[in-house]
Amino acid sequence: MEKQKTMPYFASQSTFNNCVMNENSSPLDDIRAIRKIMEESTRFLSISGFSGVFMGLIAIAGAIAAKMIIPESIITGQGYSESLASHPDGHRIIRLLFADAAIVLFLALTAALLFSVRKTRKQGRKIWTPASKRLLINLAVPLVSGGVFILLTAGRVPGHVSASLMLVFYGLALLNASKYTMTEIYWLGIAEIITGLVCLVFPGYSLWFWMFGFGVLHILYGLLMYFRYKEI
Amino acid sequence: MKNIISNLNKAFENRVRLGIMSVLMVNDEMDFINLRETLDLTDGNLASHIRALEEAGYVKSEKRFLGRKPNTSYSLTSEGIESFRSHLKALEELLKQ
Repeated sequence: MEKQKTMPYFASQSTFNNCVMNENSSPLDDIRAIRKIMEESTRFLSISGFSGVFMGLIAIAGAIAAKMIIPESIITGQGYSESLASHPDGHRIIRLLFADAAIVLFLALTAALLFSVRKTRKQGRKIWTPASKRLLINLAVPLVSGGVFILLTAGRVPGHVSASLMLVFYGLALLNASKYTMTEIYWLGIAEIITGLVCLVFPGYSLWFWMFGFGVLHILYGLLMYFRYKEI
Repeated sequence: MKNIISNLNKAFENRVRLGIMSVLMVNDEMDFINLRETLDLTDGNLASHIRALEEAGYVKSEKRFLGRKPNTSYSLTSEGIESFRSHLKALEELLKQ
């Protein structure tokens, strides 16, 4: 058996055409091409690491804004007061917190979408594929269920429980979606779930855990992806 | 040695057919347009190779209408799955030599 020609393995840039053009193929090339096609046709591999950094920064800014909105007197060692509604200024505070959360969510989603669209273009791929549709559904179902659950219980549960629920549902959504995108998302999901559960145990520090989960973890993830794959 | 090579399926020698089979192994079904875009092929190229695979009994197609647009979706027959698996096994055996 003659020695196999070694073809450089393109992590993700090369398209199927590179393989097609190589007509007198070796079994090794064949197996590589098969593996690559199987992976690329089931997973959406264009989530931008940079969007992680950006989302993290937005989350940290949002958490700082929330810290300024919530009066110091409410934050005690016991956690955020049982119900903000009993505070004389409660309804205004709740409205401000909702507005803060909505702005953060909107900016983070827009950033994630824009950076991913840019990355698919750079890689010469499509954004709307069977794989990306599956990714979206598998991410959206747990995420929207969690969102509805948190909205319906908001104000009736202590603030740190809401913060914990956000982290846990987000972690579960990532875990579920990781089958349809980069495998690293799986570990981000696990880290978010752990952060959410620990947050539940330390009521007075929930804003810090929220900031760690949605801010620091996203930034770390983005940097990791950048250094691992050298692409934005 | 001879045995291994005879296990390699001629129908999958072409890279386009190899690609079609690989996509359909991991996706239960896929329509023509998505197959074409996933594999980055032209209409004619994909059509001729998928017809060959259909005639060999490895791929089956289902025509339906999405609104008014005809849409053909492809999936592997059980024979297709079997043959592709043994083709893969033969490739792996070759590598071990």
